[in-house]
Amino acid sequence: MPDLYKSENSTQTNPPAEPVYPTPSTKTLWSFYISPNNVHFETQDPEEKIVLLLRKHPITNLWWIIVAVFLISVPGFFDSYSFLPFLPRGFHFVASLLWYLVTVAFILENFLSWFFNVYIVTDERIIDVDFHNLIYREISETKIDKIQDVTFTMGGVMSAFFNYGNVIIQTAGTVPNFDFQAVPEPASVVKILQQLRTEEEKEVLEGRIR
Amino acid sequence: MFSPEAILLLLFKGMALIAVAVYVVFATVVVRQVYLMTQTLRVGFETPIRVIAWVHLFFALIVLLLSFFSI
Repeated sequence: MPDLYKSENSTQTNPPAEPVYPTPSTKTLWSFYISPNNVHFETQDPEEKIVLLLRKHPITNLWWIIVAVFLISVPGFFDSYSFLPFLPRGFHFVASLLWYLVTVAFILENFLSWFFNVYIVTDERIIDVDFHNLIYREISETKIDKIQDVTFTMGGVMSAFFNYGNVIIQTAGTVPNFDFQAVPEPASVVKILQQLRTEEEKEVLEGRIR
Repeated sequence: MFSPEAILLLLFKGMALIAVAVYVVFATVVVRQVYLMTQTLRVGFETPIRVIAWVHLFFALIVLLLSFFSI
């Protein structure tokens, strides 16, 4: 009996479509990257793709920027020579150089702390990179399928105005909670995590576990 | 014998040299910290940050030299 219908490429299975993730509604400088191209982290697998790279919202840096501006302007208003006149001029010159160096160190440390304390979401796991001080770093990670609950909170005038908040992720791993603090677009982050969890469940059902 | 003013000046100079020397050690640790950070996360901005850290250390050493000869 002739075939009534034969689908094309019936023996060939279609590869899963590339997932489409929501884009942020506002541009946020360096704090919310979806599928960044030129980002790699130390423990990344070769096949692992970074879906989301998050940092604290840039507005959280306002306090140290204000302090830095104050520190830079202090030598202009305060003449140390009138304060300690018996010390030679060379001493005051070195003191003001040291003051500016300390100010630069203050700015550098705060910038590095903001820039490198990141939250990474890949297609397989979530990673929290924390540099607590000069030489202590903590990297926590857990697999997406170990996520049990995701909550986000937004409180305060600044967070409501600039649309940033905390995303708290409860997991069944060794680290029970991941806290993404002051990240932009927390609702989008939760949506992306939910999408990833759904894809992980699909992978398990279809036997495409890596 | 040394006058009280000379002793006070010597004390201030010693304290300033110690402070600047400690700062140079801190600047060295910052260079190491930046290296660790850029090894952990690569975002394509490593070179400018490393240059800033080295320039910062260089200026700290300049201030150390100046404090030896100026005060």
